[in-house]
Amino acid sequence: MSFLQLQRVTRRFDNGSEGLSDVSLDIEQGSMVFLTGHSGAGKSTLLKLLIGAQMPTSGRVVVDGSDIAQLGPGALPWYRRQLGIVLQDHNLLNDRTVFDNVALPLRVTHLAAKEIARRVRGALATVDLSDRGHLYPRHLSTGEQQRVGIARAVVNRPQIILADEPTGNLDPYLSRQVMALFHQFKDLGSTVLVASHDIDLIKDQGCRILHLSQGALVQDTQAPSATAEQT
Amino acid sequence: MSANKADTMHGAKSSQSKWQPKGGRTRAWLADHRRVASETTLFISQRIVSSFLVWLMIGVALALPGLLWVLQSNMHSLSQQWQGSTGLTVYMALEASEQSIADMAATLQREPAVAAVQPTTPQQALEELLAQSADSQFLQQAIAEVETNPLPTSFAVALDSTQPFLALETLSRRLAAQAGVDEVVIESTWLERLRDLSRLANRGGSALSAMLLVAAVLVTFAAIRLAIDARLAELRVLALIGATRSQLRRPFLYFGSAYGLGGGIMAIVLMAVFLNEIEAPLESLLISYRNTLVLGGFTPQMVLTVLVAGWSLGVGGALIALSQRLEAQIAT
Repeated sequence: MSFLQLQRVTRRFDNGSEGLSDVSLDIEQGSMVFLTGHSGAGKSTLLKLLIGAQMPTSGRVVVDGSDIAQLGPGALPWYRRQLGIVLQDHNLLNDRTVFDNVALPLRVTHLAAKEIARRVRGALATVDLSDRGHLYPRHLSTGEQQRVGIARAVVNRPQIILADEPTGNLDPYLSRQVMALFHQFKDLGSTVLVASHDIDLIKDQGCRILHLSQGALVQDTQAPSATAEQT
Repeated sequence: MSANKADTMHGAKSSQSKWQPKGGRTRAWLADHRRVASETTLFISQRIVSSFLVWLMIGVALALPGLLWVLQSNMHSLSQQWQGSTGLTVYMALEASEQSIADMAATLQREPAVAAVQPTTPQQALEELLAQSADSQFLQQAIAEVETNPLPTSFAVALDSTQPFLALETLSRRLAAQAGVDEVVIESTWLERLRDLSRLANRGGSALSAMLLVAAVLVTFAAIRLAIDARLAELRVLALIGATRSQLRRPFLYFGSAYGLGGGIMAIVLMAVFLNEIEAPLESLLISYRNTLVLGGFTPQMVLTVLVAGWSLGVGGALIALSQRLEAQIAT
């Protein structure tokens, strides 16, 4: 059964251009899907529609049976708490330590301080930054900042992970590590949607690939799994 | 990054499938208020000089109408003390004829602005003077040595309290022009002038107060807007990770409250200092007019009103800033 659905979604901007044009797709719960395409193809727009940061001009974005446009300002934040969002520019707060940046999603849910500390330590360990918690983002390399962003996205045990170019600033080794991490969350039941233009990396993941071009969904393929290729 | 680390942090997956809050909201709400209060204290203490200026602005804006209210209330009390003595005294010339004195009595009886007339003969005036100077042996002796009574016939005239001061002066001039009149003295003239000045000050003060109050709201608005701008990146991230509209707005409403309450306290201090400064000279002035006044009106209710007004100004400014800035910048 579909968990994420786009039903004939068009997103038109104020200047008249279309970020997405009549896109329909279904994504099952617990799957990992890649969105690919050139810059301006509509990958980020699709993710923003799923986040609820933008609303479709026409069509419906449905998550777990709920139309995002109908959630309203009361329920939208509670929906977003089920998301783990990784953005290309990290969006880290420079006046807060790495630990506090990762703790942000937990603080808005009012978890106890001990539980927050436990989960943040776990998330930092997951991205191999256990010894960086006391530092500020400016003290980290770009790759480390990206990993802090990933730790922040997964610290609240999200049902859905939406990642926009999460490996854009990482070397090939770290990129594969991040992908391995997303696979682990997928295996634990999270639905993972990754926007990336790194075709080489994507085709090795054995996942469904949605190819966008000029706002339209032009290709929907299933990459052969890495293990199948090896055999 | 090692494998299977996600297992350790993922734990039991949330069973919440619909996006609605469940349980524990009151405790969470209280915890958030505690956190925001603590952050607000820190934020203001880090910007103590600019915060002080905001408090001063709000304080001045509130102190002016507050002081006007206190002064008006004291003016009213002063008027009450003088009620009945507002009027004039007509002193007849020593050589005024019986006819002139009778004509004056008749004129006063016919005058519509006159509420009551109390004539005093020279003999009655002398007896009053002797009674009043009973403590002074020197004065008693001086009066006894005077061969003829030097005191004239007089009429103490109480006027209708609804009459304006101008009517009092017109009547005074008219009576002074009558035959046999030596002098007409308007009682409490200074009080009437003070009342007129007070009315003028109230009108001007009210307009000035309104402008200052608007300025105070704008100052709070500007301060909160700067605070929003300083935290815009953080607010965008918070909105993305699921902070509610209330959570995003709360810190700024706290700032507004802190600025407003601080401004209210500043206003009370300014008013107390001002009233304390004018109390002694005012008392001295009133003594010279044979009256006393203990400055009142600065009551606990007044203090509470000023604090509530300050808080309202602060929160009002914050609400305007939030509607103008936050909602425009953050997709909630």
